[in-house]
Amino acid sequence: MVSYIKSNKMKHESIHNDLIFYIDNELSVEKRIAVEKHLEECADCRSFLVFLQEGMQIIEKEKNPEVSPFFYTRLSARLEEKPEYQAQSQWARLAQPAFFSIILLLGIYGGLRLGSNASFPKANPPATSSVQLLNDFEAEPIESFLLNEL
Amino acid sequence: MDESELIKGIQQGDNKAFRLLVETYQRMVVNTCFGIVHSTADAEDLAQDVFLEIFRTAGNFRGDSKISTWLYRIATNRSLNFVRNKKRKGFFQSLEETFTSGRNQNSEISENRGDQPDQNITDQQRSDLLHRAIDQLPEKQRIAFTLNKYEELPYQQIAEIMEISLASVESLIHRAKKNLQEQLLDCYKKKCV
Repeated sequence: MVSYIKSNKMKHESIHNDLIFYIDNELSVEKRIAVEKHLEECADCRSFLVFLQEGMQIIEKEKNPEVSPFFYTRLSARLEEKPEYQAQSQWARLAQPAFFSIILLLGIYGGLRLGSNASFPKANPPATSSVQLLNDFEAEPIESFLLNEL
Repeated sequence: MDESELIKGIQQGDNKAFRLLVETYQRMVVNTCFGIVHSTADAEDLAQDVFLEIFRTAGNFRGDSKISTWLYRIATNRSLNFVRNKKRKGFFQSLEETFTSGRNQNSEISENRGDQPDQNITDQQRSDLLHRAIDQLPEKQRIAFTLNKYEELPYQQIAEIMEISLASVESLIHRAKKNLQEQLLDCYKKKCV
């Protein structure tokens, strides 16, 4: 209690952390006394307490909103609509993937057909054959060249 | 008519039993949904969805728990789904507004607020602030806090609805309050209201 009660040294932060529980009466007696003592001395903490109380009172003001007198009438109307809506949504749930699957399969089939019908240009002859034509050694063997030199 | 008779009646398609159920629990369901979605119109729409689900699935109700527990579970699940979908839509809408009419809408809101008395402005601002703070809570904390504050349910009943231990409920509500306080303190320091 002594460590907690050092009211003059208590920081705003530690008091601020307890205020919501102070409002809800959830603090132990010793903490409650310490908070009340600090509140007497600290204007800023009192101001935040009022701000917090006003904020939390909003819940009290707005809870239990008035329910429309036509709630059940609207509900029973929806109950009658429901089977038709459900049947429609079930149909849509089945039809949509089926439709997209058919489109996908058609696309793949079309692609394959196009691929098989396409005529490719003949592949170029290997580059080595043109190199061979330029191969001087084959056209003029080195032995004969050396013999000519002699 | 007790709960088992009520459920039996609904299972047999008795409209009177269903009407009695709706009239008995409509305030409770609307209030629970309201605590999560913060709009009366949306809360009523969601409450209707809850009762429709009850009507359709009454045959699956085993009677292990009370009707109210069953209703609370469906109401909180549906409300959380609604908020998730709204967030997703809101993200794309905000992108659109950034590039189109976002500025015009903001000026319209501030003009409308200018016509209201000062007290209402402050109440509206406080209400918006509190709703934003509640919306930022993690889902489990939000459910526990809403059931405790809006429906004033004891921790034990919240534990049954959420299917968790009593200690977990205490911890969730404690953390929810701390988080709310932090956000309100942040706003208080910035003087946002």
